[in-house]
Amino acid sequence: MIPAATAYARATDLDHALELLAEPDAKAIAGGQSLIPVMKLRIARPSLVVDISRLGLRGVAERDGELHIGPLTTWSDLIDAEPLGRPALAAIAECARGIGDVQVRNLGTVGGSVAHADPASDMPAVLLALGARLELRSPAGAREAALADVLLGPFTTALGLQELVTDIVIPLPETGSGSAYASVEHPASGFALAGAAALSTPAGETVALTGVGSTPFVLPEGDLREAIAAAEIFGDRFASDVYRRELAAVVAERALATARERAKEDA
Amino acid sequence: MTDTTLIGVARPRVDAPDKVTGATRFAADGYVHGLLHARPVLATEAHARIRGVDKDAALATPGVVAVLLAADLPIASTGTDRTAEPLAREEVVFAGQPVALIVGETEAAAEDGAEALVVDYEPLEAVVDVEAAMEPGAALARTVEDAEEDGGDLESIHAGVDHGQEDDPREELSGNVLDRITRENGDVTAALAGSDAVVEGTFRTPWVYQAYLEPQVCTAWLEPSGTLVVSTSTQGSFVTRGELARAFDLPLERIRVIAEPLGGAFGGKFALVEPLAAGAALALHRPVRLVLTRSEDFQATNPASAQVTRLKIGARADGTFTGIEGRMIVDRGSNAGWGVEGITSALVAGPYRWAAHDIRGYGVQTNRFPFGAYRAPGAPTAAFALESLLDELAQKLGLDPIEMRLHNAVVEGDLAITGSPYPTIGAIEVLERIREHSLWAARESLPDGEGIGMALGHWPGGNEPAAAVCRVDTDGTMTVVTSAADMSGVNTGFAVIAAAAFGLSPDKVRVVTADTSSGPYAGASGGSKVTYTVGKAVLRAAESAREKVLNAASQELEIAPDDLEVVDGVVRAVGAPDRSITVEELAKKALRFGGRYEPIEGHGGSAQTMGAPSVAAHLSHVRVDRETGEVRLLRHVIAQDVGRALNPALVEGQMRGGATQGMGWALFEQLDHDEDGRLLTGSFLDYAIPTAERVPEIETLIVEVPAPDGPFGAKGIGEAPVVGAPAAIANAVAAAAGTRLYELPMTAPRVWAALRS
Repeated sequence: MIPAATAYARATDLDHALELLAEPDAKAIAGGQSLIPVMKLRIARPSLVVDISRLGLRGVAERDGELHIGPLTTWSDLIDAEPLGRPALAAIAECARGIGDVQVRNLGTVGGSVAHADPASDMPAVLLALGARLELRSPAGAREAALADVLLGPFTTALGLQELVTDIVIPLPETGSGSAYASVEHPASGFALAGAAALSTPAGETVALTGVGSTPFVLPEGDLREAIAAAEIFGDRFASDVYRRELAAVVAERALATARERAKEDA
Repeated sequence: MTDTTLIGVARPRVDAPDKVTGATRFAADGYVHGLLHARPVLATEAHARIRGVDKDAALATPGVVAVLLAADLPIASTGTDRTAEPLAREEVVFAGQPVALIVGETEAAAEDGAEALVVDYEPLEAVVDVEAAMEPGAALARTVEDAEEDGGDLESIHAGVDHGQEDDPREELSGNVLDRITRENGDVTAALAGSDAVVEGTFRTPWVYQAYLEPQVCTAWLEPSGTLVVSTSTQGSFVTRGELARAFDLPLERIRVIAEPLGGAFGGKFALVEPLAAGAALALHRPVRLVLTRSEDFQATNPASAQVTRLKIGARADGTFTGIEGRMIVDRGSNAGWGVEGITSALVAGPYRWAAHDIRGYGVQTNRFPFGAYRAPGAPTAAFALESLLDELAQKLGLDPIEMRLHNAVVEGDLAITGSPYPTIGAIEVLERIREHSLWAARESLPDGEGIGMALGHWPGGNEPAAAVCRVDTDGTMTVVTSAADMSGVNTGFAVIAAAAFGLSPDKVRVVTADTSSGPYAGASGGSKVTYTVGKAVLRAAESAREKVLNAASQELEIAPDDLEVVDGVVRAVGAPDRSITVEELAKKALRFGGRYEPIEGHGGSAQTMGAPSVAAHLSHVRVDRETGEVRLLRHVIAQDVGRALNPALVEGQMRGGATQGMGWALFEQLDHDEDGRLLTGSFLDYAIPTAERVPEIETLIVEVPAPDGPFGAKGIGEAPVVGAPAAIANAVAAAAGTRLYELPMTAPRVWAALRS
């Protein structure tokens, strides 16, 4: 439970961070809630740990009809963030409240969770349902990408080795919208056996699942049960694919029902 | 003569302030000059022969001082138990078995070295399925014979039950079956045939981890004189000393074992890591500390065995129990020394009268971790089977489950299936308490998906002679000295026993846990016997000290000792309290050059022969989510016969803790191996325990049926509260779901599957 020897450097600004990440096998660390445990198990053994926790990029703000979440925003920040009080955005704080424990929530960051791409992590499902896109920076410059296009598979993203998330952007749902997150957790890890985020707007409904596939994903429009029946859903020794598929349907229905209720209160 | 007003008052634990403020020094905390750190290398195969070990890379790792294999430890014993073979010699018998110790100047160096060690295994067939392992001709889980066949002192310290009758010679079983227990009386077949209702089932329970907060840890060093000093997290200092003497063939006086404050043990801390740390210290002549990581602790220690129980019971129409027939298979894993088949086959009959019984227990070796004790070993799993079937029996006969149990519950003088008569036992009293509870009445008017269940569980307790010393100092305070490891708050109990017996405020009493070099004898803290037996010795030691203080006061006050009393540290004339002298003054007169009185000090011993079983009845209220299979615990009530609650706060803590661990058995806990015998649940990310958000309000009902031979009527209470909890929850789930589960834990996928079968 002692990590292999590694170097450490604290980045002073974004460009410095990107420069440090040029080192082969360097890893960025923000809250460390995913990286440190795997380093202690020596599953990850980076040559250099680049501390990006002092780069700012933290906080939640509304600008020009969009919601901006800094990637270094912690789960605790999200729970308390004022712009997230709307029923339309209720899924974010609801989801954050269920992550880890207080200590994890005080350190773990939303950007770290997205970049880590754990197939059972909760928040990416919420961000997917809300249609989030990511602002990215690398030495080659800035670009943006839909979250759905960044999550490629288990612990695998479209981010380059020297690329960092600089902003998470969500289009503000129109008035009369509601969102919700529901999950059934593994009793030990707390990770979702099946989790569902739902957004209900006057224009339509979106449901995203997590914990059931290689990455969180948005269900195609149409009948929920049919979409889930057609989805690729895996089984493991705790929850079979049959059981997990049923759980996915249950949590999707529950999240959607709550989202619809909340939409009625979104003025 | 004693001040019984002090008994039965809720008080904080004496060790609480230090533990809460972080002042307690645990076995991993003490500073030792020149300390080396050990890291074990654990076997990656469940069954294998070690072809060779390449030490070079590990030895070349900076900071690594030594790479120790079995042959490098000065082990004198040829046995194959964990004491005699702390590192695998030639045959690995479970994945996680330590095969080498890497000793480094720092923890990090030792870990780097452990990573670099190369062990060459020749895999052998892993025996993982306990039932298949019993078949004649099955592959053997261990091919090297145990030369000693001696489990040391570890076998008999847990519970006061015998070892059954002669084995049935007709049964043909494989060499993996290390022990057979037969308990037979009367004609069970006829009894069941003549019953108005018969129910049966096969019940399965998994390997369960003790999940103590503090992992296994030990520090060992040699004094310049050559004495081996072992500072460790253990339940028994004398047991550990005996085990180390056996392992290294050292005289007892050359070993000093210090039982440091325990960070939880629950039956799992008996000389498991001490032979490793001590062996390394003896080999290297430097102090060595071994602290298992959590994942090593999961893999390399000694959890509770899995069990398979086939049980069949019958009753007449009026609810009178007729016959009980059971076959209990205990997966001992790689523990060749002992198993719980003796205990579980005795307890499966419950605290009930049976006209006839035929119970067989089998202890079977497999290539899993060596089984160890866990709070009431063998009992929760026995009660799960019996109490589940009792509910089915009551349902079949149209009887109230509590009334039916009351009709058959034992009282003093009834014979247990071991043939021994029950001493005082509160089975009827605790059943009556939960029958009166409003939650029981509420079971008929519940919302859909909710259910209420009840069950009874008991633990026989144990006996072991013990001694204690009480010493009064010149400041009027008392020091109680015992060698019992302070587990489950026993020291706080000793303080109030000594205070009440002597006549002193409990806050003037300090309790010290002595080491084996100077402490009075006490057995291991286990078997629910410490308060009962060591507490009795403390009582007598305090009474003896009281005699000394009365004699001194008698001379000072010129009043006969019989006319004096000791109240709150003051010796005074009965009926004339103004004629008095303080204990402090008397101690000052005694403890000085030229003093006139014997030191106010007493020694006391105990050797009870009468047992003091404790019984607990549980009520569980659950909600089953029919869509997901999740079980939510809504409320839990436990009524336990504790003899006499010396300190109700501690007693309730034990009741809550036991019930909570029972919730773990019921819903969450399961150590799983793959088909090759490798552990799949080696961390708290995989292994679920009952966390605060899942544990409901637990209501505690203290029932007091005094134990005739216990201190102030107290009995051992630590184990009974876990026993019936899983069964009560299983009965509640059956009521809520309309279908019964025969396997623990009742996880969401299992409940969901049962709802659809």
